[in-house]
Amino acid sequence: MRKTLLALAGTAALLFGLTSPALAFEPVNVVHTEKVQAGPYDLTIGFSTWPVKAMQSLDFTFAPENGVDGKKGTLTLFREGVEADDSPLARHPRKREVWGLDIFALPEQGSWSMKFDVDGPAGPGSGELKNLQVMEQPGPPMGLSWAISTIPLFGLIALIVIAWRRTRTVVD
Amino acid sequence: MTTADITAATSASSARTVPRGLVPASVVLGGTLLSLIGLTWDIQWHSDVGPDTFFTMPHLFLYAGSAISGLASLAVVLLTTANAKRDREVDPLVGGRAVAVLGRTFAAPVGYLVSGTGAALFLVYGLWDQWWHGLYGFDAVIDSPPHIGLLLSISITMVGAVMIFAVARDRGWGVYGVAGAAGTLLAFSMVTVLGLRALPGGPVNTVNAGSAFFSVMILFMGAHVLNRRGGALAVGVVVAVLQAVFWWFSPWATEVYADATGLPLRDYVDGVPGLPNMIPMSLVLVAVVVELLRGLPAWATGAAGGVIITALAPVQRMITYGAGFPNAERYVATVVAGAVFGALAGMLGRRFGHMLRHLAPAKEDRHA
Repeated sequence: MRKTLLALAGTAALLFGLTSPALAFEPVNVVHTEKVQAGPYDLTIGFSTWPVKAMQSLDFTFAPENGVDGKKGTLTLFREGVEADDSPLARHPRKREVWGLDIFALPEQGSWSMKFDVDGPAGPGSGELKNLQVMEQPGPPMGLSWAISTIPLFGLIALIVIAWRRTRTVVD
Repeated sequence: MTTADITAATSASSARTVPRGLVPASVVLGGTLLSLIGLTWDIQWHSDVGPDTFFTMPHLFLYAGSAISGLASLAVVLLTTANAKRDREVDPLVGGRAVAVLGRTFAAPVGYLVSGTGAALFLVYGLWDQWWHGLYGFDAVIDSPPHIGLLLSISITMVGAVMIFAVARDRGWGVYGVAGAAGTLLAFSMVTVLGLRALPGGPVNTVNAGSAFFSVMILFMGAHVLNRRGGALAVGVVVAVLQAVFWWFSPWATEVYADATGLPLRDYVDGVPGLPNMIPMSLVLVAVVVELLRGLPAWATGAAGGVIITALAPVQRMITYGAGFPNAERYVATVVAGAVFGALAGMLGRRFGHMLRHLAPAKEDRHA
């Protein structure tokens, strides 16, 4: 029993010890930028992959000139002119000096726009990145991906059908 | 002489400190609980902190959960196979009747066969998920197809755990185990139903209707396999305890782990525990209704359960997130769907409970 406990403790220690150094997070690599003028604020929009494809996640960075300190704002996403999402501009978890969206995907292809409402020392201002073209999603059609992913469910249903047919009587 | 032999065997078995079958059953259940802990922690990590690798602690809990359940299942299958090949008696109380797998290569108790299959599928869907992330990026979308495949695989292990304990439903540990395993499966399924967002539901909130369907079905299944007063309530209480513990644990563990790795919390963290808030708080009320209306047909109590869950789901979100109430059309449509799916779930859950009762070894003296 003591040996087992020691072995378990050793395994846990190894796990904890080895996982901490393994937590080396990918840096945010900006490969393409766009400029947006939101009233008095110059914003640089960064993309970690380009072009943007539907459902493919990437890091977005939103960097105001002179930094984010003392400023706040809202990001609203539109697809084909229809509002899809809005959220406060939050610092990027892996690039804290700028705002951003970490490993975020735009779900559908088409023409998207990003509207920035920024408030800061120079007062409020709005600006928009228009006509962000999101390409077709990569990979197999979603129907096929869902078919592959729900095989366990259909296997379970098959098991239930077999069990159903073999257990018609009620037992006490 | 024969009588003396039987007496000796009985006294020997009663002298055992741990009932036969309890240890591997507990290891499988423990593995599924680790998976649930890993899932609640991982969801909270992504919402409150963010940065991700293959080797985060929540991920290791998820992998370890399936590995532990899978290895325990494999060990039982191999031991049973060895006993069957030596023509030794195989105790059907350990995981149920052994079935032949791959011709007669393996003799696998049916409960452990199911739990082990779920763990093996988890490995396969892990590879599918890796490929997916390579193509689509390392997003934190819980309801991507491979993630739903992984969640379904873990659910199959959890179904196996319910079966393993249902075999021993005549024993105290079997009763507690069924309530524990069914409660774990129910709590976990409230995340898997997020996959229903991919379905077109018209005005119906498919996730709320799905939550109602699966929670009523699993609650009824547990109640009918135990077939005793308090069975539904036991499952409901297990779920409520898991919900309460995770309500505290998920944000706490996330913050401790973020501190330990030197990562800051996101801006604008809402502080609401993600997974526990997906579990309907009204489930205990449903369990009480099921207990009180035992005389009614399963479809009627099931429909009542479905209505309670879908009607109160937006109220829960209003309290926790401060969300607005859905428009009347969507609300009514979802409650009607809750009634229909609840009725179906009540009937199915009852039938599944009866099916699981067949797993217990037949007793000649059952009437005694």
